[in-house]
Amino acid sequence: MACMNEDGQWIVLMGLLTALGLFFLALIINQSALVGQTTAEGVLEFPKNDIRDLRSEIFDVYDSYGTLHAQGRLGDVEEDIIRISLERKNAVVHFGNDTPQDVSGRDLHPVTIHYNNGVTEYDEIVYY
Amino acid sequence: MSLDFLAGFTIFMLALIMVVSMVPGLLAGLESSGIDYDAVAYRTGVILVEDPGWPVYPPWEMNDLAHKGEIERIGLAVSKETPNILLSTKVKKFFEEGFFDQSDYRNKAIFGDIPYSYNISLNISHPDGSYELKRTGDPLPPGYGYIRRVVKIKEPAVAVIGSDSRYNDTTLNSSILRTFTVQLNFNELLDPERGPAYRIDPRTEPVNVTITDFGAYLPANDEATLQSVTFWKMDPTRPIPQFTRIPFSYDTEDSDLYILLLDEESCNLKPEKEVANTISLVLKPAATSLFTLDQNSILDIRFVFDDSPDPQRTTLNGTYLYDYDNVPLSPLKPGVLEVAIW
Amino acid sequence: MVNDSGQLYTMEGVAAGVIMLLTAYIVISTTSIYTPGDTHIPDMQLEQLGSDVLAMMDTPDREGGTSQLVGFVKNGTETCGGNDLRNEFLTNCKMRAGDEDTKLRAQVYLSYRRTDGTVNTTPLSLPDPEFTGRENAVRVTRWVQLDGILPGIPDIEHSSRPRAVLVEVLLWRA
Repeated sequence: MACMNEDGQWIVLMGLLTALGLFFLALIINQSALVGQTTAEGVLEFPKNDIRDLRSEIFDVYDSYGTLHAQGRLGDVEEDIIRISLERKNAVVHFGNDTPQDVSGRDLHPVTIHYNNGVTEYDEIVYY
Repeated sequence: MSLDFLAGFTIFMLALIMVVSMVPGLLAGLESSGIDYDAVAYRTGVILVEDPGWPVYPPWEMNDLAHKGEIERIGLAVSKETPNILLSTKVKKFFEEGFFDQSDYRNKAIFGDIPYSYNISLNISHPDGSYELKRTGDPLPPGYGYIRRVVKIKEPAVAVIGSDSRYNDTTLNSSILRTFTVQLNFNELLDPERGPAYRIDPRTEPVNVTITDFGAYLPANDEATLQSVTFWKMDPTRPIPQFTRIPFSYDTEDSDLYILLLDEESCNLKPEKEVANTISLVLKPAATSLFTLDQNSILDIRFVFDDSPDPQRTTLNGTYLYDYDNVPLSPLKPGVLEVAIW
Repeated sequence: MVNDSGQLYTMEGVAAGVIMLLTAYIVISTTSIYTPGDTHIPDMQLEQLGSDVLAMMDTPDREGGTSQLVGFVKNGTETCGGNDLRNEFLTNCKMRAGDEDTKLRAQVYLSYRRTDGTVNTTPLSLPDPEFTGRENAVRVTRWVQLDGILPGIPDIEHSSRPRAVLVEVLLWRA
C-alpha cells in the first residue's frame, strides 16, 4: 500500500469542485427567489386596504355619533363591525372614543382603533 | 490507458451528467421575468395614486421649468388622507408635454437604480360618456410589469355668474365707479371639517370666475369699459383689519399666473377695454402663492368698470362670495391609471 | 499491472460521483421548498383593482351625497340592486386605456349581523353560471353603513336600526 498510485485523485477533486459550484448556485437561487416572493406576497399579506376601509367606516360611525347616540344604537353598529370582522375577515377589531379634547382650536375625539388579523397588528389613536 | 481509468472516468462522467441535468429543474421556478417589474409597477402606482408628492406646500406642481429641480417626488393625490382621489392640476402638470423628461419620471416617480422603461396612462371618463386618454412613455413590448388603479379626479370649481339681480345695482349714481368684488374667505374655504376631496383650495387649484351674461348688466348700452382687475387682501386677525392692495404686476400678461378673457379675447389686468358679453378670469395657484395669504386671509378680486367722463354704462356692482353656497363643486370624475414597467 | 492499485481510478470515480450526487440532492431538497413567486402577482393585481373599485364606488361624487355603493345595497336583491352593483363594479374594473379587459367576472355577497348575534352572508347578485368554485378568485370587501328598512335582503330583521354591513366581492379572471 505504501506505493499507492495517486494519479486518480484529480477525479475526486473535480467532483468536489462541481459540488462546491452547485452549492454557490443554490445560494444565489435562494436569494433571488426571495425577491419576487416578498413583494407580491408582502403586498397581499399586509391588509392595507382592510385597515383603510375599517378606519373610514369607524370615522363614518363617529360622523353620525350624535344621531346614533341619541337613538341608543351606537352599540349596535359597533357590535356589527366587531362581529362581522371576526366572522368574515378573521380579524379581531375593537374601537372606542374618549371625551373630546381641544386640538389647535377644534374639539376632537380621541378614537382608539385596534386591529389584529393574526399576521398584522395595528393600533392607532387618532383625533377625529 | 487502462480499463481501470476508463471505468473510473465513466462513473464520474455519468454522475456529472445526472447532476447537470438536475440544475435546470432547480432554475425552473425562476424563469419568470415579470417578478421584478410587477413590483416596480405596483410601487410606482402607489406613489402616484396615494401620495400628494413632495413638496406639499407650496405644492410641487407650482414649480415652473426653471424650478423643476425642487420637485422631489411626483404624487397625484389630493392629500395623503385621500388615496385614489387625484387633483386635476397635478395630473395636468404630470402629463404636460415638455415639462418632465424621461429621467424625471424615473427619478421622481419610479425610483430605483435601474433605468426602467415605462408607460403611464390615465383614462378619464367624462360625464357625457367620452374618454380622455393621457399617456407618457414608450410603446408597450411583450412581458411588462403592470398595475391598474381606479381613481377619481377632482376638478377645480367654477363660479359662473349669470344674470343676477343681487349684483345688478340700478339705483347707483351714474358718475360713481362700478366695482364688482369676488370675495374669497380662506377661513371658510379651508374649514378642516370639510374633507380634502370636496374642498375649494385656491392655494392648489385655480380660481375660476366667469361672468357669462354681462349684457344683462348693460341696461341702455352695448358695452362698458373694464378699467382694471385688482387683488386686495385683509387679515381679520390683525388689530385693525382693512383691505390692502396686493402689489402685483398687473400690466404684464402671464398665462402661468392668470388668464383674463374679455369677450374671448385675452388681455392683462389693466385692460381699459370695452366688453359686451363675457368676462372670464382664471387665477392660477402660482399667482395666489405670491400673495402671501394664510388660512385666515380674505382675498378680494375687484373688477372696476369706468366709463368716465361719460356716465357709467354698466350696473354690475356688489360683492360675490366665492364660497360653498355660491360655487358648485365639480363632481369627481372616474378614471383609470395604468403603470407599465419593463 | 496486477497490484492493489488496480481499482483506484474506479474508486476515485465512485467517490467523486457520490459527492456530486449527494450535493445535488441536498441542494434540490433545500431550494425546491418555495413556491414560484409569480403566482401571487395576478392575485395582488386583482385584489388591488377590486379594492380600488369598491373604495371609489363608496366615494360620493359630491360632499354629503350618498355613494353609489350604498345606493345599490339599499335597493337590495328585490329590484336586482345586487346585479346592478356587480355590473357597475365590473364596468369600473374593465375600464382601461384602449379596449376593455373583458375577462373579469365577479360575484357580490353581503354579510350582516342578526339580533341573535350570528353573522349571515347572502349572495346579492344572481350566481354566475360559469362559476365552478375552482377559479383563482380574490375576495375584496368594503364596509357600508345603512339606515332604514332593507326589504330585499333575506333573513335580515325588518327593524330600521342603523347598521354596518360588509359588502364582499369575489373577483376572478375567466
